[in-house]
Amino acid sequence: MKLEDWIKKDQCMLLKSSTKTEAILEMLDIVAATGSISDMENLKKEIFYREQIMSTGLGQGLAVPHVRFEGTAEPIVLIGTRKESITDYESLDDAPVMIVVMIIVGPEQHREYLRILSLVAHKLKNKAFQEELLNCETGEQIARLMAGE
Amino acid sequence: MTMEINIHSINIILLLGVVLFGGTLTGRLFQKWKIPQVVGYIGLGVILGQTGLNIINSEIIGNLRPFSTFALGLIGFMIGGELKIQTIRKFGKQFISILLFESLSAFFVVFILITATAYFFFKDMRIAISLGLLMGAISSATAPAATTDVLWENKTRGPLTTMILGIVAMDDAVSLLLFAVATSVAGILSGQDGGSLLASLGGLAWEIGLSVALGVGLGFLLYIIIRGFVDEDKILAFSIGAILLLIGLAQSLAVDVILATMAMGFFISNFAPRRSKETFHLVEKFTPPVYVLFFVMVGATLNVKGLTVVTVTMAGIYLVGRMGGKTVGSILGSLMSKAPKTVRKYLPLCLFSQAGVAIGLSIVAGQTFPGVIGDTIVLVVTATTFVVQIIGPASVKFAVSKAGEVGLNITEQDLIRQSKGSDLADRDIPVIREGDNLRSILNIFAQRDNLYYPVADKENRLMGILSIEKLKDTFIASDLSDYLLAHDIMDKVTYTSHMDTEAADIYSIFQKSHVASIPVVDKGGKVEGMIEYRRMQQHLSRRLSELKEKARRMEEE
Repeated sequence: MKLEDWIKKDQCMLLKSSTKTEAILEMLDIVAATGSISDMENLKKEIFYREQIMSTGLGQGLAVPHVRFEGTAEPIVLIGTRKESITDYESLDDAPVMIVVMIIVGPEQHREYLRILSLVAHKLKNKAFQEELLNCETGEQIARLMAGE
Repeated sequence: MTMEINIHSINIILLLGVVLFGGTLTGRLFQKWKIPQVVGYIGLGVILGQTGLNIINSEIIGNLRPFSTFALGLIGFMIGGELKIQTIRKFGKQFISILLFESLSAFFVVFILITATAYFFFKDMRIAISLGLLMGAISSATAPAATTDVLWENKTRGPLTTMILGIVAMDDAVSLLLFAVATSVAGILSGQDGGSLLASLGGLAWEIGLSVALGVGLGFLLYIIIRGFVDEDKILAFSIGAILLLIGLAQSLAVDVILATMAMGFFISNFAPRRSKETFHLVEKFTPPVYVLFFVMVGATLNVKGLTVVTVTMAGIYLVGRMGGKTVGSILGSLMSKAPKTVRKYLPLCLFSQAGVAIGLSIVAGQTFPGVIGDTIVLVVTATTFVVQIIGPASVKFAVSKAGEVGLNITEQDLIRQSKGSDLADRDIPVIREGDNLRSILNIFAQRDNLYYPVADKENRLMGILSIEKLKDTFIASDLSDYLLAHDIMDKVTYTSHMDTEAADIYSIFQKSHVASIPVVDKGGKVEGMIEYRRMQQHLSRRLSELKEKARRMEEE
């Protein structure tokens, strides 16, 4: 399994929102638009409940909000970047967040889930790669970069 | 139009319904009062029967006799199944010594006392000796049915239980032997034809030999047939069929039913042990209604109308003599054979019961010696059966409780039935918090050998279950160990239980859903413990072997 398998260009975006809550909601709107999740209300609750337990800001400008959610047929991965950064993400290192990767998997996709999490963390903690990613100007560019093209 | 209900022409099915329904209710009531259920069944029989309301009159008793015979057959089969060759080998000396002492000493004490009393009343030495011999012989029998029913009801195991089973199974044979001798002697004395001694002994040997041969033969046949079956329903049908076949054959050949079915049970459980456990288990499940009916009929058969001062006095003396003789005899036998202390102390209390064989022999005596001898024997045996069937089971229960053997012979099912969630729950299990990270979770798993842990929120409300499998998967993402939380890797909870949930319900969840653990929560959903299937099994088998060990240790005392 490769990370690229789950990256789609219409799920990559430049984030308009400047706060954590708005950024997550903005990404969830994209999920809603794909129509792959029917119970959006509960998905929203679950995502924010997880943030409440502990922030998903991994540090070094990277945040990975994630959830295992009933009714998810295939893992959904969204990537959003914001050069101007989100300052209220409460990351582990208190640094502002510039890259947000949202991961939604089904309750049974435990391994895929951990694998994707691990791949994302590994790939995106690389400073040089982060620079490249933040320089992308469209979702399509982000997707291509992530796919290594 | 008015409709008259004539209770004397009550239909048999309705009567069976009344007997089973009422009998079970009465038995349950007696159980609550800590009196063996069998006393309740017999009591109901006495009320409905010839002594009481006469709803179950002699005609109905005649019609229902096949059921009673069937019950006796089942009882024989179950007792035979409990007798293991190893047990006989181990306790053989004690068995024989106690058996001979208790039955012979009852015989002699009753013989002497009854002869003396009868002489006092009838002033005829020949009648006195005849009565003494016949009643002495009858007194040596101990009824297996009511006695073993108490043992099964109380799930007993231990040296006393083993000894009781062995004795009640075999002292009928001694009694039949003594009766054969007594009949011949009494025949000569009274001038009535009691048959020659040699002929009656020969007949007896033939009867015993044939019943054992029949039992073993059909047992072998049953074994051959059920060997090929897996389906429980079919095994049950074939087993009951074989028992019925055997009972029927024994009856038409006029040999002893109990002895025959006992031989079959003994054969199956000793020579085909692998399949026999489930066979006995299935038959056992089938027995309760038959037993209820049997004991109600025993009560109904007792007819104490027509008692006179003479017969009441004789009955009293017979009772004292029989109990005294059995007590002294079993104590002597235990001492001689160095039986365990509990056997010596409590066995005398377990040999009072008399029923089928005694009543049967009294009827035979009544027919062989019509007149004063026959009538006196029938009345005395009936009246004393009435008394010992009430006090016998109660004293057996007292004895096995005192000996500490109650509840030691339980199966996993019984144990489950007696337990609740609180007995199975691991209360000390550490509760993982939703926000605990992988590092601290690994710490918990490293310190304990549980495979499943409850995950709770800050208020201790159950949120999920964390399993070792899910934890293993996190090695893929081990670099995230500070960052992955219990919440991320826990499983959703499908089933929960409470401390007061019946263990049987918990067990059936495990069986049906194949979950490996069930968290225990309080009414507010807060975590109180965890039940792991693996640990529940361990707990049950440990408890069962503890009970077994306890019974084994008693044998050595």
